[in-house]
Amino acid sequence: MKRSWRGVLLMCLVLFLNIVFTQKAIHQYYYEHYVATIVYAALNVILFPIAVWLYRVERKVR
Amino acid sequence: MSEKQPDRNNKIPFEEDNYTHNIRKNEERRLDRRTFMKTIVGAAGVFAVSTLPWGALAMRELANGGEKSYAKAAIPGSAGLRVGEAVEFAYPSEHDTALLIRLGENEYKAYQNACTHLRCPVVWDGGRTELVCPCHHGFFDPANGAPTAGPPRRPLPEIALSVEADGVYAIGVKRYEA
Ligand code: FES
Repeated sequence: MKRSWRGVLLMCLVLFLNIVFTQKAIHQYYYEHYVATIVYAALNVILFPIAVWLYRVERKVR
Repeated sequence: MSEKQPDRNNKIPFEEDNYTHNIRKNEERRLDRRTFMKTIVGAAGVFAVSTLPWGALAMRELANGGEKSYAKAAIPGSAGLRVGEAVEFAYPSEHDTALLIRLGENEYKAYQNACTHLRCPVVWDGGRTELVCPCHHGFFDPANGAPTAGPPRRPLPEIALSVEADGVYAIGVKRYEA
């Protein structure tokens, strides 16, 4: 492989999970499953440091 | 092309058959890949921040301790309602609009009419006997509030009713059973 797509693919995964968790958090809020809402919101928050870390690791990979 | 200019690099016009000499493909691509990753990091931050209020609201609800209490309220215009007709009212607060539908002689149903897609007001289409959201053509079943077509995924929240001699009263918002 000439160039590594791993970083791009992992970032796409992060974005995908972000969308899923956001959607879930809001729906679970309206379903009055408040604990689930907090869990999904927390997962969304945790994805951010993961994204930063992935960026750091992957930015140098050519 | 004159002989007096032996070094023509970086001069205009540059002698070549295309004008892409200033595009360094590999570098441009590397920039693209990296910029893409940066954008996603930014997006992850935005998503994280935007779900925080929902988490905070959920915590507040938990702190208030599950069960909510609702005041009993008469529904104006419910007494003269004919079968197949609907009337709009506000419940539980004056900012939450709702729809009371008379489906049969003794059959009443009421739902909060904020569409579960993006909260447009849902209206009663007597001709088709369906609840219709005009914004993105969401449809709801009047028998149980479940979405039947279009973008909405959650049923409309149902309002508990008490049918009395002088009209219909709203007594609470039912919990989702799912
Ligand atoms: S807001 Fe009702 S269908 Fe989109």
